[in-house]
Parts: sequence; C-alpha cells; structure tokens
Amino acid sequence: MSANPTPSPAAPPPQKETFTVIFDGRPIEVPKNINLIEAAKLAGIDIPHFCFHPRLSVVGQCRMCLVEIEGIPKIQAACTVPLKDGLSVKTTTEKVRSSRAATMEFLLINHPLDCPICDQAGECTLQDNAFGYGQQLSQYDEKKRQFPTFDRTMIGPNVIADMTRCIQCTRCIRFCQEIAGTSELTFLDRGGRTLVWTHDGSPLANDWSGCAADVCPVGALTLQEFRFRSRVWYLAKTKSVCPGCNVGCNTSVESKEGIVYRFLPRLNPPVNDYWLCDHGRLLAESLNNRDVHRATARNGQAVTDVIVPIGIERIGEEIRKTVDGTGPSGLFFLGSAHLSNEDNFLLRKIADQLSCPNRDVVVDKARVRKIKSVNGWVEGDEAAANFRGARDMGLSPAKGGYGLEAVLSGKASPEVVVVADATFSAMADNPEKVAAVRRARFLVVLAREANALSRAADVVLPATSLAEKEGTFTNVQGRIQKFERAFLPKPPVRAHWELLLLLANELGYGSRFWTPSDLLREIAREVEAYRHVKEQELEGGILLKKGDFAWTGQP
Amino acid sequence: MERVLLKRVGTPNSRSIETYLKDGGYEALRKVVTGGMTPEQLTEEVKKSGLRGRGGAGFPTGVKWGFLPKDSKKPIYLLCNADESEPGTFKDRLLMEEDPHQVIEGVILSAYAIKCKTAYIYIRGEFYDGARILDKAIEEAYAKGFLGKDILGTQTSIDLYVHRGAGAYICGEETGLIESLEGKRGQPRIKPPFPAVHGVFGCPTIVNNVETLACVPHIVNRGAEWFAKIGRNEKNTGPKLYCISGQVNRPGVYEAAMGLPLKDLIFGQDYAQGMKGGRKVKAVIPGGASANMLTAPEIEDCPLDFDGVAAKGSMLGSAAIIVMNEDTCIVDAARNLSKFFSHESCGQCTPCREGTPWLYTVLHRIEEGQGRVEDVDLLERICNQMANGMTICVFADAAIAPPLSSVKKFRDEYLHHVEQKRCMVGPKAALVSSEAAARRGGTREGTVANAPSPSNQPESART
Repeated sequence: MSANPTPSPAAPPPQKETFTVIFDGRPIEVPKNINLIEAAKLAGIDIPHFCFHPRLSVVGQCRMCLVEIEGIPKIQAACTVPLKDGLSVKTTTEKVRSSRAATMEFLLINHPLDCPICDQAGECTLQDNAFGYGQQLSQYDEKKRQFPTFDRTMIGPNVIADMTRCIQCTRCIRFCQEIAGTSELTFLDRGGRTLVWTHDGSPLANDWSGCAADVCPVGALTLQEFRFRSRVWYLAKTKSVCPGCNVGCNTSVESKEGIVYRFLPRLNPPVNDYWLCDHGRLLAESLNNRDVHRATARNGQAVTDVIVPIGIERIGEEIRKTVDGTGPSGLFFLGSAHLSNEDNFLLRKIADQLSCPNRDVVVDKARVRKIKSVNGWVEGDEAAANFRGARDMGLSPAKGGYGLEAVLSGKASPEVVVVADATFSAMADNPEKVAAVRRARFLVVLAREANALSRAADVVLPATSLAEKEGTFTNVQGRIQKFERAFLPKPPVRAHWELLLLLANELGYGSRFWTPSDLLREIAREVEAYRHVKEQELEGGILLKKGDFAWTGQP
Repeated sequence: MERVLLKRVGTPNSRSIETYLKDGGYEALRKVVTGGMTPEQLTEEVKKSGLRGRGGAGFPTGVKWGFLPKDSKKPIYLLCNADESEPGTFKDRLLMEEDPHQVIEGVILSAYAIKCKTAYIYIRGEFYDGARILDKAIEEAYAKGFLGKDILGTQTSIDLYVHRGAGAYICGEETGLIESLEGKRGQPRIKPPFPAVHGVFGCPTIVNNVETLACVPHIVNRGAEWFAKIGRNEKNTGPKLYCISGQVNRPGVYEAAMGLPLKDLIFGQDYAQGMKGGRKVKAVIPGGASANMLTAPEIEDCPLDFDGVAAKGSMLGSAAIIVMNEDTCIVDAARNLSKFFSHESCGQCTPCREGTPWLYTVLHRIEEGQGRVEDVDLLERICNQMANGMTICVFADAAIAPPLSSVKKFRDEYLHHVEQKRCMVGPKAALVSSEAAARRGGTREGTVANAPSPSNQPESART
C-alpha cells in the first residue's frame, strides 16, 4: 500500500525508454506506456482476455487474463498490473491454468451456447478462449439465465441485441462513453441479473454504433446488415479503404464468391484506429450493385452490345477525328473523386498525350464524417474518397483550358467528352446537367451503375467496383493508402485503369503490360508531391511531406 | 468496563447538542483547533493509541492516514463510511441515531488531522432516520461554530455533508463507496491506485468507519495511553462495540474492552445472558456474514479481537456475532446468507457474478431435499474457484465464507441432507416432503426444474 515507487535496482543515470519484463523466465524489452497484455503479445505470448481493449479504459472485470506475478501471492488480472522494470510474469503455471479454466466455466454456465445460430461464431472470443483455456465439462446443471425480452431486439438502427449471450465485459459501454462520447449504454441491475442496455430504452444510435458490435467479443451485439448472411469463416478478407468519404478509413472487405458481405474496420492508428463509422460500413453491399454488364455503343437510335476493344477503337476514332478537325480543345476529360490515383493519373496522361488542357474533377460535399484516431478526430466532408488525389494527379483545367462548370453553363462546347466514372457526382442523375454534357457530339462513360449520364452516352464501358480492382487513394490528411482487389470482375467488366490504359494505348501512350504498380511508379516519377511514394511501403499509408504543394496541414 | 462510546446511548435527549455539550462534548475539538495539537500530533496520537479500523479489515487508522501524499496540491477528502450493511451488524446505526454529535466530533477531528476541508458521511440509504438525525445534528454543530468557516474562531474550516446511498451492500466497500459518492454505479475499483492517493473525484481520500471516528474524541480527551491500555494486548486496543444476534437471551449491542472472550459475550450476565431456552451453541459467526463460522469447541477460548478471531481461522470483521443453536439447520443458514450475497454482488467480475447465484442454487437444492452427493464437493469447488484474487474486491471472498466454512465444519449435516433428502436438525428434520419422498432413491430427472433460482432470473418487472 506504499505510495512510494519502488526504487529501480542499480538505477543507471540515463533514463531507459523501455522496461525489461520477464515472461516465463525470458526477459524482453517493452515500451513503457503499454498494457501488460500488449507487452506479452510482443513477447509472443497470448494472454486470453475479454474486457481489455487497447483503446478503452482498463476495468479488469472479466478475470480471464489471470497471470502470476513474482512477489504477489494472489493471482492477478494481467490488464490491471502496472508495468515496471524487472516485472516477472508467469503465464503457464498450474495455478494460472486452473484459474483461467475457472473463469471460463463461470462465463459459460449462463451462456446459451447457441453457436449454431449465432452470427459471431467463428470470430467469437468466447469460443476461442473456451477451446484454448476452458475445460470440456462443467457440473452446472441448473436453469440458465435468460433475458428473453432483450433478445433478437433492435437496440438501435443498425445493431441487434441478444443479451442472453452477453458476458458483461462492458466493452460496448466503454466504447460509447470513451470513444463515441455518447454514453448510450449502461449496466442495469446487478449481480447475476446484470444487463447491458441503453439508459432509458432510447436507441443505440450514434454514428459509430457498428463499432459497439465490433468490440463485443460475443454475439450479444451484431450488425443487422450482416445478420444471417454468411458464416464468417467463408469470407475472404481484403485490405481496402472505405469509399464513404475523404477520411479514408482502412477497412477489410469481406467477400465470398464475388459478393461483398460487409466492411470491417482495419487498424490504422493515425487514421481510423480500430473504428469505422456506420455510414461507411453500410456502403459495403452497394459494391454489389451492377447495371452495366457489357460495353455498349450507340448507332443512331440503336444501342448495341459491343466488345470492349471495339468500343475503345470507336472512342479512339472519334477523338482523332476531333483532334484533326477542331483540335485538342474540342475534347473534355472528367475524372472522379471515387476513382483511384492510378485511374485519374491515366486520364490525365491521355489528356496530356493529346495536348488537351480541358480536364476536371468535382466532388459532392456531404455531411461531416468523423472518426477518432489516436491523434484526435479526423474529419471529412466530401462524399467521395479521393478528390484530393484526383486533383494531385493533375485533373484541373490546365492553362488555356476549361472545366466542368464551363461545359455545364454552355460557355464551352466540347465535341468529345470522356467521363471516367458515371457516378462521379449526384449531378450525373440530373437531367438538366446531363443534357448540358450531352450537347457534345460524342459522349464516353465508364460505368457500373446505370444513371441518366450512362443512358445518354454513345459508348459505355463496363467498369468495376472498389472491390474488383486495386489502387491508391489520398485522404484528407494527405495520406496515400492502398486498397487491394477482393476478387476478379466478371468479364467483360474491367477496372477503370484497364479500360483507360487500353484507350491510352490506342492513342499512343503507355505500355499494354502496365499494372497499377507500374502506374504508381509512373505517378512517383511525374507527380512532384508523390515522388517518395513506394508501393512496398504503403502499409499504413504514406503521408505527403510538409512543403509539398499537396500538403494542407492536417496531421 | 465503563461505557465510553455508549455513554449517552439510552439516556434522555441523547441526540441533542446540549446533552453532548453538558457531557464535555466538543471539548476535544476546542482543545485541538485552538492550538492544543497540530494535525501531525493528532495523527501521531491516534497511531499511538493503536486504534484499528472498526469497519471490518482492522487496519491501523493512524497508519492509513499516513498514506496520504505529503504536500498534495489536490484537496483531501474524508469519507465516513456509514453504509452499515453487513448482516448482523447494527452498531454504527446506534451511534448515529442515539449520539450523532460524538460521531460528528470524531469526523471533524479526523478531518483536521488529515487536513481535509470537506468531509462526507456516506450513510446507508435505508437509514432514513439516521440521515435525518445527522442532518439536524450537523445543523446544530454549524450553528455553534464547530463546523464551517473558521471553526471556533480559528483558521480551520471544515464542511460536512450527509450523502445517502441507494441501497447496495457493495457501497460499503471503500472504492465502491467512492464510486457511488461520485454519482456512479457502486462498483469497486481496481487497486492500485489506492484511495489515499487517488480516491473520490481523483483526490487523496481517507475512508473510515463510524465507530472508528467516534473513538477519536476520546483519544484526544483521555490520551492515547489510556486508549491503548484498554484491550487484550497492544495490538488490539480500545473499547469495542459488539453486536450479538441469534438465539441468545439478550441480543443487542454491547460495549466492552477489545478482546472480550466470545464465551463471556454469549453467556455473561452483563451481555447476552446465555442461550434461549438453555439450548446448546452449534455455530457462531463472529464477524458478520463474511466471516467463517466457528463451531462450539472453537468458541471456548476465543478473544473477540482482530488477532484472536483470526487465530481461529475467521475474522472479527464488523464484530457482528451471530449465534446459532443446535436446532439450526446449517444448510439453511448457509443458503440464507448465500441468497444475500447473490443479491448483492455488483456483477462486474465474472466469478462473483456467476458464482454467487450458482452457490445459492445448489444450497437451495440441497436444503429442499433435492441435493446430490456430488453437490457437497461441488460447493467446495465453486467456492475455491471464486476467491483469492479471482475478483477485484473481496466480496467473493466474503460470499464463499458461509458455504465453505459450513461444508468444512458440518460436512456430515450436508451429507445427511443429500442422502436423507431432509434436514438433520430443526423443525424440518422430521418432515419428509411428499416430493422428496417420491424422489428419494429415484431418478434425478425433474429435481432440477423444481429448484427455483430467483436470483438467477431477471426481475419480473422486465418481462
């Protein structure tokens, strides 16, 4: 009970940056400011736990992370033991084993064990720890506790509660208090009747309610969107970036047989940390929407299916005809904030190749979305992920050129318009704006979902969703982040960069063997702010450097 | 022994400040604040007196005060723990309701000793009268200048508030009390940090029991030596209040020197005056529901002080002596206490939240004649899985005391229950319920469904 810190042995004058902690006799150097459970992880030791979460306050109440500490007779919850130099931790003794088994038994006596109908099965900490640290049998032979009126109940707009499965770890309560700051959830009653619910029955309706389900180690809180859609072990996980806004939260795209089932947040401390907002999370299934299955070309009134190379050839012809006639000023290229840096870079290179200064990219402004990173809130107010990257790639009117505004207002009347993404903005479904663009003699659109713009086009090329291609986005912080391909598109659908590369080749730029990696290398070569970007180092994202023209200062 | 703490209890107008003043009340306060003693000297005096915490743990009070960080920039708080809810304990209630000024003077003196400017009396929610009486007494003390700004014209200022709990046993645990006082759900905190460093509102805090604080004015008035001389030895000093209940002739609160032999308390003419109807003693719980039971041979030479009871494998706790005679069914007693603990567990730690209702259910089944032979070992196994570091606070250690000690000491009675499907002693011994008779030697099926588990189910209001 001494208030005095124990003097460290030998006490060398230079302050060490780390502590030496001994795990089962093996010393390891660990940073000073982490939890013992995290320190153990660095030592390659798994300490099972439920209530501990690296970003939430330590409550030490699940009593699963029990370890022995040299010099303390009683067994200790590892998460509550302050790190100090020379701390000796034993994780494999018989006392540790039996204590953890005891906690597992207590947790399971009232758990319904309805894994066959529980969505969490397969990614359930209770299952994992029961297999890893529990025992086969229990002598519990009584009636199990149930919370019948709190099962299969929407606790908020996006989350379903099954409170009979709850193990009272309070992670969801602490998430709402400490991260979301909205404090909807609380413990009701006490003892064996302890129940997690909202204070007065009001809904769990904050912008990050899905994260409460994420941090739930069991199936007590699950996402309504994903409920009963798929067993999680069938889902492939692909590293991706959320398309919802320009914050660029790192996600895992979870898919099976060419269908996206859900997004989960993927840890990236300076961006989204462990979190993902509901707006972004619920976009997952929109990636499955597809109206445009093949390339089409208009001949007079008739629209016919064509193969992609024929479509490309046709575009090439029209462009060349215009360049030969009116000159490059008769062309207009519109990029998109929904597309990757590679896509937009290719579009700009096509314009460069033709010496056309008329290029642009626009973005819809949206409600401000926020996510809590380790450095505080990151905010984004754009409806697309990559406006900044598209601008960086050079998609703004060059000297002597015009932008979309001029086209829409009629000040400029291009003969050929190439729109790299049919859903670049809500404008694309606005008949008046589409009519303004349609004044061009020839309109090319790359599309996945049909809208007024794609229906008006002369050539439509079938393009992929985010899940079917790879590339990079640049977020509001100026961080270049890579997203990977979850699955191949169904032919003849191709990635935007593939379609644009075919067109570039047709017009004499680039190699037909280029991949997104080559394009990123080209970007690093040609775009001054991106000169230090290397694909191999993209894990976690590369921040643009201070002083670069694209750097705007949000850390 | 002369009455010290209970001197005015039972006399007319014992609650009023006039009675207290006539009896030399607040003289200790006047002596201390007008220059008689510095806070350090007062703390030293309390240390010398050997006063140990009367709430249950028996930690030396002066030493506890010494844990406060020196020169803390934060305010220091004194919390008087009046959440007296240990089953069998009713001494603090008597002190607060019958002689509130003695408690208040103790609080003011202790606040002075630890340089605290704001003190709280956290009183159990059910003590409505106590809260009302204390409020009135505090008002009187303010009016006389014993509380508030510049006490008795000196530089010392102390404010005192009464805070009522909302009816949770766990709020008697000091960190649970702190959480509750902060307006949060009453749940014990992880220690370290200890309250002396990081207590209520994040500030250094001392939590002392009512009886502990009530001793302080007497230590000031009559000296640490006088206090230390009372009691069995130098480690167990001072006058002590004992609450005795159960099947004795004269249950109640008695004051005696620390270390009163347990036999004297039960049989002494000045105390409980023996067992009702001359029955024999079967078991005694010496320190409230959380203490291990003692058998009749064990009470023979058991001095009622912290070390004396500890030597018998139990604890003095809050000095609540519950006496059970030979007709008491020990399983019923354990079941009764287990029901209390399963109702009062705060529910944050897994072993306690899940273990306390389980213990109750098994005990209930055994008592109702539906137990199985393996249940006796099961009880022991559950108990051993719950305590000794398995939980944040010592509630679980308390909850296992009745079942574990009774299984150890009265195993034959448990076995009689599971084998004969009825009690060994008591009114139900001769009765065999028709259900139990039908099932005796029968199959196990059906027995479980009949054992209700009220504490294991959500309250009906929910459904």
